[in-house]
Amino acid sequence: MNRVILEAIALERRFTTDNPMFGTPTVVHAVNGVNLKVRQGETFAIVGESGCGKSTLARVLTRLIPASGGAVHFAGRDLSLLKPAEVRALRREIQFIFQDPFSSLNPRMTVGALIEEPMRVHKIGTRAERRARVGQLLERVGLPAQAASRFPHEFSGGQRQRIGIARALASEPTVVIGDEPVSALDVSIQAQVVNLLADLKEEFGLTLVVIAHDLAVIRHMADRVAVMYLGEIVELAPAEALFETPRHPYTEALVAAIPLPDPAMRRAEARVAGELPNPIAPPPGCKFHPRCPYAVERCARERPALSPADAQGRQVACHRAADLSLSGLAETETVRSPAAQRRFDLYAKARAAEATTE
Amino acid sequence: MSDTALLTVRDLAIRIRGAQRNLVEEVSFSVAPGETLCLVGESGCGKSLTALALMGLLASPPLEIAEGAAEFEGQDLLTLPRTERAKLSGNRMAMIFQEPMSALNPAIRIGEQIAESVRRHQGLGHREAEARALEMLRRVRIPAPEKRLREFPHQLSGGMRQRAMIAMALANDPALIIADEPTTALDVTIQAQILDLMRALRDEAGTALIMITHDLGVVAEMADKVAVMYAGRVVEAGPMAEIFANPQHPYTIGLMSSMPSFGARTERLVTIPGMVPPIATMAPGCRFASRCPFRAAQCAQVPPLTALDGHSVACWRAPLERLEEPA
Ligand SMILES: Nc1ncnc2c1ncn2[C@@H]1O[C@H](COP(=O)(O)OP(=O)(O)OP(=O)(O)O)[C@@H](O)[C@H]1O
Ligand SMILES: Nc1ncnc2c1ncn2[C@@H]1O[C@H](COP(=O)(O)OP(=O)(O)OP(=O)(O)O)[C@@H](O)[C@H]1O
Ligand code: SF4
Ligand SMILES: [Mg+2]
Ligand SMILES: [Mg+2]
Repeated sequence: MNRVILEAIALERRFTTDNPMFGTPTVVHAVNGVNLKVRQGETFAIVGESGCGKSTLARVLTRLIPASGGAVHFAGRDLSLLKPAEVRALRREIQFIFQDPFSSLNPRMTVGALIEEPMRVHKIGTRAERRARVGQLLERVGLPAQAASRFPHEFSGGQRQRIGIARALASEPTVVIGDEPVSALDVSIQAQVVNLLADLKEEFGLTLVVIAHDLAVIRHMADRVAVMYLGEIVELAPAEALFETPRHPYTEALVAAIPLPDPAMRRAEARVAGELPNPIAPPPGCKFHPRCPYAVERCARERPALSPADAQGRQVACHRAADLSLSGLAETETVRSPAAQRRFDLYAKARAAEATTE
Repeated sequence: MSDTALLTVRDLAIRIRGAQRNLVEEVSFSVAPGETLCLVGESGCGKSLTALALMGLLASPPLEIAEGAAEFEGQDLLTLPRTERAKLSGNRMAMIFQEPMSALNPAIRIGEQIAESVRRHQGLGHREAEARALEMLRRVRIPAPEKRLREFPHQLSGGMRQRAMIAMALANDPALIIADEPTTALDVTIQAQILDLMRALRDEAGTALIMITHDLGVVAEMADKVAVMYAGRVVEAGPMAEIFANPQHPYTIGLMSSMPSFGARTERLVTIPGMVPPIATMAPGCRFASRCPFRAAQCAQVPPLTALDGHSVACWRAPLERLEEPA
């Protein structure tokens, strides 16, 4: 197995906001005692409902914001012990791709200047070398080199995401973190960007950490998946296993809620009820227990720890993990109709022929 | 399609006044009571414009209906005088939007908004209207409805707001509901709850539903019939099961190929190249041609929507397997 490049140890992040009504500040435990190891070269995904702490976890993992407790190790070194110069070097190693990279960037800078910026900051190459590399990066992400002299608003969402990817790659990082990198894109453009990320990962030997709420995309891209609920990891498993045989009731609920693009898989109404509880006052014990169809008395009392559940490195935080038999996607899987399969094959063949003549 | 249709749209075309090309063109479909039609397609293909035209909500000017008819309960929606239209909207037909905050008034309590609508359309008294509002919140399964009745929209979660908007849309027992991406902004677990709810309410009341979505998963869950749109035109339409089992149009096939499947995991997705060009700059003929791997000389003419294998397709080269046969 590859070496661990990024590790969270009992990682915590709290947000405190003043409450004008009652005087006492409220505290949100956005990340609550997370332990995880990301291995070099893998695609590691973080999934969960809105507000469960995915973005916060990604930000504390990379020191974009400080942790409130616990530690992060990058390539075996405790980040909190790094000197300022080393922190700068670290910034070069870890890059972010955002949902819309341009909502946070200067709209008056040209695309070329935006992609060059990380190289300038990290003092990479001469000016001419940087310019040349901007052109190469643009072409690598499927845009003409001349795009460098244009402004972000002149591009479509999918093109902007390609520019964001080029910028993320500019400093030659080892780890790239994508916070919903394809969520804002149309299906056809999303597929192009998913393929591009896979190619670049291979080519540059990157480690990818992706956050996404589209579970089909996650299953396609990820090697391993961490499922979060109210600031905690409730299950961590290889992607295929997670979807086929979920071991945590919340994972089962997430998988069951995916609308499957195949009418033969139309499923019955067996779903988790209710909504995410108020994060300011989370339930005691297992935080999922008020929504869990399998909860027993112990679940309301005692917080289950994330513990090994099999020999393949799967971890589950559920008191009943050993005695529940949950259902995933494998049971409902069907084959495509022969007519549909024939058309898909014809389409793929025509696309491949087109690609070779381009 | 059938004489039992509740709404029949024929050759709807929408354009910006004075523009050369129509934004939406030759869009035809029908829905019967209790039936769900999904309009599916990517951003900018004209789904919302079609819905807004039917609801009489097009931003006009600059937009205008260039052509077409939409027969609903014996009246043509597109030529109805403003006052007649106002009587229908929120009453016989209602709309649900992606972002409930755009439809709910932030300054008025939830209960009052629903009550106001039933007072206006059904002439109910104050008490009765309030009782109706409470009944509606119960029907959409909002917990503690008595309490929610007195809350403002911002006090509700996204999922609860969507339920409140559905309650408002259903309050006057409409015959037709048009839902524009009603679950796109929600988490999957909440989306599943809302889809279940919409299905149950539709089946209880026999309401016709036009559901707009870009998600083929939602289509497979909800639709009886589907119309796939690309750049303002319907490229393929028919019974839902037929579209999935026997897709004919290169765009439909490309869209399905672009989606990561839940079957065997593959290395790469088969994509649709490029992106939708602006409608004003499109070459005449098939609007998908610039991205289509099957395009040929004849595609410079507009392909008509033609019956094929139990549904309809607008592609000169369908059925595609014909291309493989030796000449
Ligand atoms: N700067 C902040 N100040 C106060 N609370 C915050 C802040 N950032 C996040 N939170 C809270 O922390 C929790 C986790 O938020 P986070 O953005 O990490 O969730 P997420 O899983 O990324 O959600 P989404 O899918 O909506 O992006 C939420 O309750 C959120 O309100
Ligand atoms: N008020 C307007 N003025 C000019 N053009 C408009 C206007 N509203 C929409 N359009 C154009 O009409 C086309 C169709 O838009 P529409 O909103 O119907 O798309 P849609 O299919 O609903 O997309 P989405 O999935 O993004 O909601 C787009 O090209 C859009 O730019
Ligand atoms: S008509 Fe031609 S260009 Fe259009 S989809 Fe069919 S083959 Fe492709
Ligand atoms: Mg987030
Ligand atoms: Mg729309």
